[in-house]
Amino acid sequence: MAERVAIVAVAQTKYHPNRADVSEEELAYEAIKQVLEEAGLTLSDMDSAITCCQDAYDGRTIASLSLQRVVGAHFGHELTVAEDGINAAYVAMAEVLSGHFETVLLVSHMKESQAEKSVIENCAFDAILMRQLGLDYTSAAALQAKRYTDKYGITPEQCAKAVVRNRRNARNNPFAQEPLDITVDDVIRSRMLASPIRLLDTKPISDGSCAMIMTTEEKAKKLTKKLVWIAGVSNCYETHYLGDRELADCDALVKAAKKAYSMAGIDDPLSQIDVAEISTEYSYQEPLWLEGLGFCGRGEGGKLVDSISLEMGGQLPVNPSGGVLPGNPNGVAGMARIAESVLQLRGEAGTRQVDGAKVALAHGYTGICGQHQAVMILSNM
Amino acid sequence: MSEGSPTKKAEGPEYIRIEFDLPRHYNWSTGRYLGKVYAEAKENKKMVAPRCPTCKHLWARPPAPVCPKCKVDMGWDWVELPLTGTIFQYTYQVYPLWDPHEGERWSNPHPPAIILLDNGIYFRHLLEETDTKKLKEGMRVQAVWEEDYEKRGKGFQDILYFRTIEE
Amino acid sequence: MAGRVAIVGVGQTHHTSRRDDVNLPEMVGEAVRAALADAQLSKKDIEAFIFSNMESFEGLLLPDHGMITEVGATGKPGLKVTGGGTTGSEAVGEACNLVSAGLYDITMVVSWQKHDCGDATAGISAAAVPIAAKGLVVGAVSEFAKQALSYINQSGAREEHAAMVRLKADRCACRNPYAHLRLGLKGLDDYLQSGYLVWPIRMLDFCPQSCGACVVILASEERAKKIHKKPVWVVDFEVAHQEPFSAGSFGDPTGTETYSQDVAAARLYKRNGITDVRKQVDMAEIYEPSTWEEMSLYEHFHFCEKNEGWKLIEKGVTEIEGEFPVNPSGGVIASNPIGATPVLRIAEAALQIRGDAGEHQVTRDVKTAIATSLGGPNWTAMFLLKRSL
Repeated sequence: MAERVAIVAVAQTKYHPNRADVSEEELAYEAIKQVLEEAGLTLSDMDSAITCCQDAYDGRTIASLSLQRVVGAHFGHELTVAEDGINAAYVAMAEVLSGHFETVLLVSHMKESQAEKSVIENCAFDAILMRQLGLDYTSAAALQAKRYTDKYGITPEQCAKAVVRNRRNARNNPFAQEPLDITVDDVIRSRMLASPIRLLDTKPISDGSCAMIMTTEEKAKKLTKKLVWIAGVSNCYETHYLGDRELADCDALVKAAKKAYSMAGIDDPLSQIDVAEISTEYSYQEPLWLEGLGFCGRGEGGKLVDSISLEMGGQLPVNPSGGVLPGNPNGVAGMARIAESVLQLRGEAGTRQVDGAKVALAHGYTGICGQHQAVMILSNM
Repeated sequence: MSEGSPTKKAEGPEYIRIEFDLPRHYNWSTGRYLGKVYAEAKENKKMVAPRCPTCKHLWARPPAPVCPKCKVDMGWDWVELPLTGTIFQYTYQVYPLWDPHEGERWSNPHPPAIILLDNGIYFRHLLEETDTKKLKEGMRVQAVWEEDYEKRGKGFQDILYFRTIEE
Repeated sequence: MAGRVAIVGVGQTHHTSRRDDVNLPEMVGEAVRAALADAQLSKKDIEAFIFSNMESFEGLLLPDHGMITEVGATGKPGLKVTGGGTTGSEAVGEACNLVSAGLYDITMVVSWQKHDCGDATAGISAAAVPIAAKGLVVGAVSEFAKQALSYINQSGAREEHAAMVRLKADRCACRNPYAHLRLGLKGLDDYLQSGYLVWPIRMLDFCPQSCGACVVILASEERAKKIHKKPVWVVDFEVAHQEPFSAGSFGDPTGTETYSQDVAAARLYKRNGITDVRKQVDMAEIYEPSTWEEMSLYEHFHFCEKNEGWKLIEKGVTEIEGEFPVNPSGGVIASNPIGATPVLRIAEAALQIRGDAGEHQVTRDVKTAIATSLGGPNWTAMFLLKRSL
């Protein structure tokens, strides 16, 4: 990219199973207030706001109406991205790069606790052909898990290892919802939800918000010394119908990663990326997405998870924050991955810090079995 | 002309349509600010609004943690609203439309109005008088509360409507 | 903007109340193919997609995901934006940003609404904070009823002026083969026979719920010149949201507050050296949900002085043959597939600039045009389009 876009402030709420104490607007504002303080800016300093929410979850037409005040939209610009928060970041970056806006406030919020998750998710399926099968994200993910693990011989233990590591890493993350010290055995003996997905293979219901501020290189240098740049970004759609897709191979992610890598000048991701924060709502997704991201060959995700190189201190620490499995709301998850990457690159990740991290990868996805995939490469150089 | 042109308008054959209802249940949280309004209405039959520390405006419906105009933190300075005022503007519904929250058609509900409260704040609510011939802008009105404590707890709806008063 | 962007293809379906003959992706696919044909491009040429639709009206989650194959976005980047009535404008704005940021050379905006799957009035009523305003909002109609009352009180406009706006819209719509309501209204009597929805808004004063789709293809300067003989340049755009007026309504009954249209117009005109709109701009496609709102918008977009919007319609200034034509397509009162409505305004303005609007081409030579949209509690988006840079 010719010019560079910086992320100058990030904030997250602590993720929680039920934030009955706050409205959506107040939940979003918790994170917004923090980024403003961190950047030393006010709502009036923002040239644009990108919100990220979905009407169906909020139970409201034009869900962003409830956010107008807390993003300071009066007489200004606000845009809502109805997908994962990582796409809000993509739009914000384009706004800054195009020269249309200088400083952009981003916020993603979600209260999964206020709606019936599976009923809402069911509305994402083709209304005539698939919705009536009663599918939700978990039952569809079970189909993908089955296909992927059968095709490549991935074992339940390998998937469980991802859960154990993510839940353990979460103990170092003050924002994490459910850090746990568990074993592979605990995971594979937990209650079956939709074979082969068990209770501990997936995430709990979660409420929370994440906010950040993006700006131009020039302005960023005035605001902070700890600069984090967007080095590469892309996203990609896959076709909708599950029967039309090879669920064992995430082609959309392969494409998104390739483009992001080429923008960032990465040809060997395993050696050039210091830390990865990836969105995995289900355990099988960690090996599968790692394949898509090119950290190993197709079908080799299981072996990669088996090796110790994904642990803290390993060759590629994956999800020092614990990622999505310990609890992250749908839609916020991808933006939270960027926020965590930024903390790593600023050396502010506390006990989950990866020493000397210079290049980080943030990943997010939206939709059934990862129909839409997004990758962002961040760097502090 | 594209294939979507009017020459291909739907007519003739009977098309297959799939119909189904979409039951969705939500548990909305009022949060701190709106929660304060709900609590004061239910417990004390009072309508309150937060006051912006900068512009001093009262943000009655709905209250917010940020002043929409000044874009600063609202703080926690609450003021009780007087519940008498004048009809500033009203309209009334003639054609019954869907109520999205109940899934039923509305017919002749109470006329929605903007009421100028006696402290100069505009307040949107319903009018008791359904005979629109008797309504005039500038008429004096007063809030009528739901008197049954058990039935209160609906926030702004704890005021049933505004009743015309003689003064 | 860093890089210049042009519209190189537009396509729309016909707009109507029911499209039982097609499902959602099929309907959208019609507009996609029409736009590709207009640009003489194929699906593989499109590099990224922005989708625009108000999802709750059809009761869908991720409605873009179901039509990826149909529009040709498989294996391509894209995302969906949402929001109020301005959604479509914001989608075009973001698709422009992707190009001017240098990320892509050719992007496509895919916008639609298929109202026969749901109910828009219920949908809009559901925009009120459910726990704060239940029962007080009856779709957009009651809001625009209050707006109409405010406008009548402040400007002195009369019902006959609303009728003139409606008749103008119908005359235009009858010349636009894609328009939804083409009623062939004869005169004031037809208008006065129309019943009230919410007083003083008559059925004929208000926009319908339409099924329809609109697609716009945007390209970078270098590519645009090669793709289309008549690229239409997106010179600038501006967005201004608005908090509800202090009276809590769409219009300001107190007549003392600033409208987002004034704010957006002032910024856009200043940046582009526009001091006399009707001289320097040749026509406008505006998002007018009601007849009364159209007259009010004339004023807030500075087409005339305050409280004189009704005089423009009285004098015929905004007719197809007029000095400053507004909504020669028939506008939103004639066709309103909400998610696509702002995109239609931009597409129609582009067709006028190209001289390709067919029977509803305006008399005045259009070199510069404005396309606007309206959403939420009086949010505004404005686009400035030109024939040459």
